[in-house]
Amino acid sequence: MNKIHIVDNVISEKSLDSKIIFNTSSADNFLNVHNLEFEILKDTNLEIEYLNNEEVKQAISFKIKPNVKFNLYETRQGVKNKIQYKFFLEQNAQVKVTKFYNVSSIKEMTSFYLNGEGALANYNFKTISNDKEKYDIMVYHNASKTNSYIKNNGVNIQKGNLVFNVSSIVFNGKINCEVDQSSRIINLTDNKCQINPNLLIDENDVVANHSANIGKFSDEEMFYLQSRGLNETQALNLLIKGFLLEGITFNKRAIKKTINNYWR
Amino acid sequence: MHKLEIKDLYVSINDKVILKGFNLTVNSGEIHVIMGPNGAGKSTLSKVIMGETSYKIESGSILFDDKDITNMTVDERARLGLFLGMQSPLEIEGVTNADFLRNALSNKLGKDFKLFDFIKELEKTTSYLQMDKDMIHRDVNFGFSGGEKKKNEILQMYMLKPQMVILDEIDSGLDVDSLKIVGENVMNYYRKANPGILLITHYQRLLDYIKPDYVHILIDGKIQKSGDFSLVKEIEQKGYDQIKKSSKTGTCIIKEISKSE
Repeated sequence: MNKIHIVDNVISEKSLDSKIIFNTSSADNFLNVHNLEFEILKDTNLEIEYLNNEEVKQAISFKIKPNVKFNLYETRQGVKNKIQYKFFLEQNAQVKVTKFYNVSSIKEMTSFYLNGEGALANYNFKTISNDKEKYDIMVYHNASKTNSYIKNNGVNIQKGNLVFNVSSIVFNGKINCEVDQSSRIINLTDNKCQINPNLLIDENDVVANHSANIGKFSDEEMFYLQSRGLNETQALNLLIKGFLLEGITFNKRAIKKTINNYWR
Repeated sequence: MHKLEIKDLYVSINDKVILKGFNLTVNSGEIHVIMGPNGAGKSTLSKVIMGETSYKIESGSILFDDKDITNMTVDERARLGLFLGMQSPLEIEGVTNADFLRNALSNKLGKDFKLFDFIKELEKTTSYLQMDKDMIHRDVNFGFSGGEKKKNEILQMYMLKPQMVILDEIDSGLDVDSLKIVGENVMNYYRKANPGILLITHYQRLLDYIKPDYVHILIDGKIQKSGDFSLVKEIEQKGYDQIKKSSKTGTCIIKEISKSE
C-alpha cells in the first residue's frame, strides 16, 4: 500500500510506487498554503495520515487518468485546519475516498470534477466533531454517464458544531448521470448542526437521491440492542462505533482506538 | 423453574388502548402460541413484555419469577432471562454480529465470559442454523435476506440462553427450508434449556415443528379463547369470525377504562 504520513505539513514518511506522481511545494509566503499534488496513472491505493499540532492550510489535488481506479484512505487528527481538496477524473476514472477525522476546528472544501464520460466518485466520510467543523462538498458532473455517491457521517459532541454542505451539479445535456447524497449527524449536544443538501440539476435524464438526518439514534435501534441486555450507555456506544466504522476498511485498529477514547 | 405472569394488562399507544385486560401465565417447559387477526395486539404484547417504552401501561402488571418487572428497563428484563425474537429485526450498519453478541454476552456473564468458548459456540450454532460462517462477521442484519434475519434472531437466542423466549412471527418471510431449520432449532433449544416459550404466529405451518401445549386466540386486545393444538385446526377451518362474533368486546378508548375504574 502506498503511504504518506504528514505531520505539521512535513512529510515524515513516504512510500509510493510508480503508479503515483507526487509533487509538493512548501507553504506559500503570502497565503501560507501547503500544496500536495497527486497524479494517479494506474489502478492503485493510497493511505495518507495527517497530524497537525498547529494551524495548517493545505491544498490537495488528485488527477486521475482515464480508466484508472483509485482508492484513497485518509485519517486526520489535529487542530485548526483549512483544507481544500480537488479531484479531477477523466474518462471512466473511478475514485473511492474513505476518510476518518478527529480534529479540532476545520473548514474543508472538497470538489469533484467528473470531467470524463463514465467517471465515478464514491466518498465515505466520518468525523467526530468536538469543535467548529464545516465541510463543503461540490460535485460537478461535467460529462454524461457520471456517477457520484457522497456519504457523510458525523457524531457531534462537546463544543461541536458540525455543518455539511453538499452540492451536486448536473449540467444540461449531461445525460445518464446518477447522483446520490446521504448525510447523517448524531448530535449528542444541544449545539446547532446543519446539513444542506443541494441537488442542482439542469437535465431530465438523471437519477438523483438525497437524505439528510440530524438527531439521535432511533428508539427502535436502542430497543433492539437493549433487548439483548445492553444498558442504554452500552447500546449507544455500540451504535456510535458502528456508525463511525461503517465502510472503514483501513487502519481499523487505530481508528477503533480513537473511537474508544470517547466511547469505551 | 421460571414463570412469566401477565395480569389484567391494559396497554395503550397514542391514546388508543391495544391490550384490554390481558392475562397469561407461561412456565418453564411450556410452549404457548398466540394467534389472532391483524391488529389484535399480538406484537404489542411481545414488545410490552420486553419493556418497549412507546407503549403506556394503563393498568395491570408483568411478573417474572414473582418479581414485578412492569417498570423495569428493557436491558434489565433481558438480563433477567427474557428474550424477544423480533418480527422485523433491525439492521445495524457498522456493528458486526460477533461484536454485538460479544458485548451482549460479556455484559450478561461478566467475568465468566470466555472469548474462546464464545467463538466455539458461535461456530457450532451457525452450523446448526446452516448459516454462512461469514455471517458472524457481517453487520447485524445488514443486507440479510428475510430468512437470514430470522435465523440470526435464533442464533442470538441460542447464544444468550434466555429462560423465557418470546418469538414474534418468527416464521414470516421464511421459505420452506428456512422455516424447517428455524422451527427445529427452536425445539432443539427448548429440549436443551427448557425455557418457557411464547410464540406469536399467523400460520399453522410453524407448528409443524414447534408443538404447543396451549393455544390462545387474541382478539381485540384480550384472549378470547384458549385450548390445545386442536384450536389451531379449528381456526384454520373456520377463521376468527366465529370467535369474534362470540366476543362481547368492542373498540375501547381510554375514557371507557377510566369510567369502569
